[in-house]
Amino acid sequence: MAPSTTVADLPPSSTTDSFNSSAAAEENDIRPFFVLHKASSGSKSTATVKAKRRIESPSPKLAKRSEIESAGEEEGGHFFSTLRFKVFETVWSKIDNTIQGVLRDSNSKVFSGIHDWIWESFESIRSSGALSLSEAVRSYPVLSQPSSKQLFTALVLTRNLEMVDDLSTFEDLGSHLKSQGCHVAKLSSTDFSAKNGVGGCLRGLLRQFVMPTVDVADVTILASWYRESGNDKNPVVVIVDDTERCSGSVLSELILILSEWAVKVPVFIIMGVSTAHDAPRKILSASALQRLCATRFTLSSPAERMDAVLEAVFLKPCSGFTVSHKVALCMRSYFLCQDGTLTSFVKTLKIACLQHFSLEPLSIMLEHFCQDNQLPGEGTALLTEATMKHAFDLPSVTRNKITRSTCEMLPQFLLDLQRMPNPWCIVVLCIYEAGKFDKLRLLDIFCETLDPEARYLKYFSPPAILNSQSNVSGRTSVIRRVLRKLRDLSPAQLSSLLKSWERLTAEFSEINDKVMELHPFMRTVEAAGQRPGIPTSPKKHASRSNSKLEKELKAMTDKISAVIEFMLREYMKPVETVPFHEILCFKNVDKLQSALLGDPRSRIQSDLLESHNILHCMCCSQRGTTLLPSMHDTSILYMLAQEHAEVINLHDWYQSFKTILSPRNSKAKTTLKSKKRKDRCEEPEAPAEASIQARFCRAVMELQIAGLIRMPSKRRPDFVQRAAFST
Amino acid sequence: MEDIDNIEEDDFGFSRNYFLAKELGGSSKRSARKLSDINIVDEQELRETAFSIETKHEKEISELLNEYKTMYPKWIFELRCGFGLLMYGFGSKKGLIEDFASSSLTEYSVVVINGYLPSVNLKQVLLAIAELLSEMLKSRRKSSGSSSKGQETFPSRSIDDILSFLHGSQSEDKDCFICLVVHNIDGPALRDPESQQTLAHLASFSHIRIIASIDHVNAPLLWDKKMVHKQFNWLWHHVPTFAPYKVEGVFFPLVLAQGSTAQTAKTAAIVLQSLTPNAQNVFKILADYQLAHPDEDGMPTEDLYSASRERFFVSSQVTLNSHLTEFKDHELVKTKRNSDGQECLNIPLSPDALRQLLLDLSQ
Repeated sequence: MAPSTTVADLPPSSTTDSFNSSAAAEENDIRPFFVLHKASSGSKSTATVKAKRRIESPSPKLAKRSEIESAGEEEGGHFFSTLRFKVFETVWSKIDNTIQGVLRDSNSKVFSGIHDWIWESFESIRSSGALSLSEAVRSYPVLSQPSSKQLFTALVLTRNLEMVDDLSTFEDLGSHLKSQGCHVAKLSSTDFSAKNGVGGCLRGLLRQFVMPTVDVADVTILASWYRESGNDKNPVVVIVDDTERCSGSVLSELILILSEWAVKVPVFIIMGVSTAHDAPRKILSASALQRLCATRFTLSSPAERMDAVLEAVFLKPCSGFTVSHKVALCMRSYFLCQDGTLTSFVKTLKIACLQHFSLEPLSIMLEHFCQDNQLPGEGTALLTEATMKHAFDLPSVTRNKITRSTCEMLPQFLLDLQRMPNPWCIVVLCIYEAGKFDKLRLLDIFCETLDPEARYLKYFSPPAILNSQSNVSGRTSVIRRVLRKLRDLSPAQLSSLLKSWERLTAEFSEINDKVMELHPFMRTVEAAGQRPGIPTSPKKHASRSNSKLEKELKAMTDKISAVIEFMLREYMKPVETVPFHEILCFKNVDKLQSALLGDPRSRIQSDLLESHNILHCMCCSQRGTTLLPSMHDTSILYMLAQEHAEVINLHDWYQSFKTILSPRNSKAKTTLKSKKRKDRCEEPEAPAEASIQARFCRAVMELQIAGLIRMPSKRRPDFVQRAAFST
Repeated sequence: MEDIDNIEEDDFGFSRNYFLAKELGGSSKRSARKLSDINIVDEQELRETAFSIETKHEKEISELLNEYKTMYPKWIFELRCGFGLLMYGFGSKKGLIEDFASSSLTEYSVVVINGYLPSVNLKQVLLAIAELLSEMLKSRRKSSGSSSKGQETFPSRSIDDILSFLHGSQSEDKDCFICLVVHNIDGPALRDPESQQTLAHLASFSHIRIIASIDHVNAPLLWDKKMVHKQFNWLWHHVPTFAPYKVEGVFFPLVLAQGSTAQTAKTAAIVLQSLTPNAQNVFKILADYQLAHPDEDGMPTEDLYSASRERFFVSSQVTLNSHLTEFKDHELVKTKRNSDGQECLNIPLSPDALRQLLLDLSQ
């Protein structure tokens, strides 16, 4: 097994020759694994020295400045300097912490519910009679009464078929309960495999509870551990996060065993259920089900969490990092069409953030947006000549005709970018608040309001509203939906809407004043609504007061939509319309998409079908789609395969391959044939034939490695099967 | 929303092509030409020629690789940010990744797994990584001045134990990690769920980063969402190199060499030569019978038993059965039932190949 030391000693070469394998590399090719090299201490130490210098430097700002300068000088090589990485770390940890906080908050209610349930049940068990030590460590279970065999079980409904979001939820739940004194063990479907049986999961439990080196599966160890050294003051909790994936028989068996011992060791089982609440009935045996005494808890849905995360990361003061309209649309469609998990959304966000830092040199200024008590204009102190030039070449800057001559305005622009509370965010949140009555998702609102080219005011002309009524089908703009829904709201709903707007705009007086102006009207509406007898009075008498209420309501909704119009007109300035927004806004949607989700199935096929586009060679791209002998062999063969149906006759395929590789006009062919006839005894084409056959074999093998064809079967020895049909 | 339309459009295109291909297969008559119609050169020669095929577009390929070189700093940045790199695209990416590792990842220890080899043993890889890691931690401890722990011994431990050791020794320093290069993470030895789980588990540790390549179009099916988003944390890179799959293809059969008479007879001879003389003789009886009765379905098992027993090649039915199992395992013999319902043994070789085989055996 010894890892190679000879290879490790080889100096790493960086010339193009290093792509070509040398003798040592060839030896490595046939080893299952090897150590290419060990960490060199030299370069590491310089990095730490650099970091140290920065920390010790009396004026950190100055040090940073010099680093940016040096980064500017050596652009390319040190483009990704330590500083850039550090700022990324700062920004991302801020975003990540925010997300974790949001998730913690969304789960906290359920967690404390579970905690209360555990302790209440535990107290009731304990009050029913504690066992003496000698009684408890007897090697057979204590049988007192049938009800004592019940296992308290919490079914936690995750409302999400994908487990990946809830893995961390259950981990958090475990640590939450641990911090409250419970003994917690976490098992997952891998522990409940039919292969290992119930012994496997018992061992897993003992390893987590008793000690990590236990190698026997004996439940009496658990019982004696529980009675020793005061462990019995606290309940034992077993968390199974993905119940549906567990082997039902193994889980049933574990439940039966634990329930037999329930008097000695009061175990609480927490089962994560991702399908429906009757899932345990489907996977557990009847006898195991009888032993469960279940309580149900429900987590928030992925869409709800998603909205909360969006709000906290993009619409409340967080890191300053944001995304463009197109990127937001891409993230939305990935969430809705492809994945549907918050985990993948967070990963997308991280990739976007990472790529922002790797593409945009000025992104390091984001560090200043992360710091809360920021002195105005200090961000510009970082700007050096090189970065200045870059800053004034940004498209958003040239588009707005801002030139170097207006350089002194830069601090003002940066301040605008940093302005908190951001009026745009407030407007979006206000619309979200109004949209909640129509069950609008913040994700949709966020994506739509980021659009720099949207014209919202057109919805406020009367014909537009009328049109919107008829246009029920199809996708409607969120603003239009909000306006339409406004007219259906009851006085109570309107009043709660106003209250939430008041709260949202509290820090922004311009909008807040407008909202406050609505209050007197609201009071008249409420007064009209509260006239005694209206709800119960007969229609005849009520008609007059009803019509008055309707009139007031109509006036009120008109006022509210006027405020919405005001907000949209004055403050709906998406980030992409602001100069210098490139510093904090990630825009490159193509890069994000390709990094997030490779599509090997179509990309590998298009590599082969359009090889000249990638190789950029002069020889193959000249004549459209005709097959040329100069093309890559595998490419030729795969293009030929396109002409075949599901199966390809090897003989035909080979012959057409051969024809492409050795193109001759018909005349030459006939002369060759006649020649052949003359001296048949000789073998004129043997070497070429061998080479063509070898190239054919190689190309077929490469297609097989790519998984594009299946090799001939015993039943069909002369055919290969195509395994992919579209790019 | 346009994306949804695009996706639907793509799906439609895909299914249309699929059904077109199916339809084509049904309606037009399949070509009945045989592979044996081609005058196939000797396998040895084929292999030798295949080994020395000159690569087309060598200049363009090296330009392509140089273009990827400019992305190395970005790749390091991504690794440092905690992502795993997944390289895909047509062509061998072995040279590219190893060049990246040896030129740019000098600050980190690099372990390479050749996933295209069928003999990869993940436990040994884990051992090597654990040793590297404990070495690294030791040197760090030394530099920080605190006393080091006693020497850990890994070889006796199970995979789970090593994984939990690796899990336990995660350090605070985010920029201190070992890079694990996996060529063909979709390779034959790593394709099973256990190996992928182990690799994913390994990738989830904060001090391990994975750089892997895939070649198979269906490789992403190996992973579930937990593995993709939480453990491997892939960042995809489309890096077609068009470099020949030299080492990766060593274990693949050549399509033209497969199934030819000479080939099967030769492999059969190799198998038979490794068996006991008695087993060889039993096989000879069967072969002689088949050559003498070319029109029959094969030799009835009872007849073979009595014939073999007569010549003292087997002493009991049990011994014969063990020989037959050996033959069947190597596909030297097939069983069939003849018209009388008797079980018959048949060697799936042409008479010519069989004669050649007998000749080889007697030499």
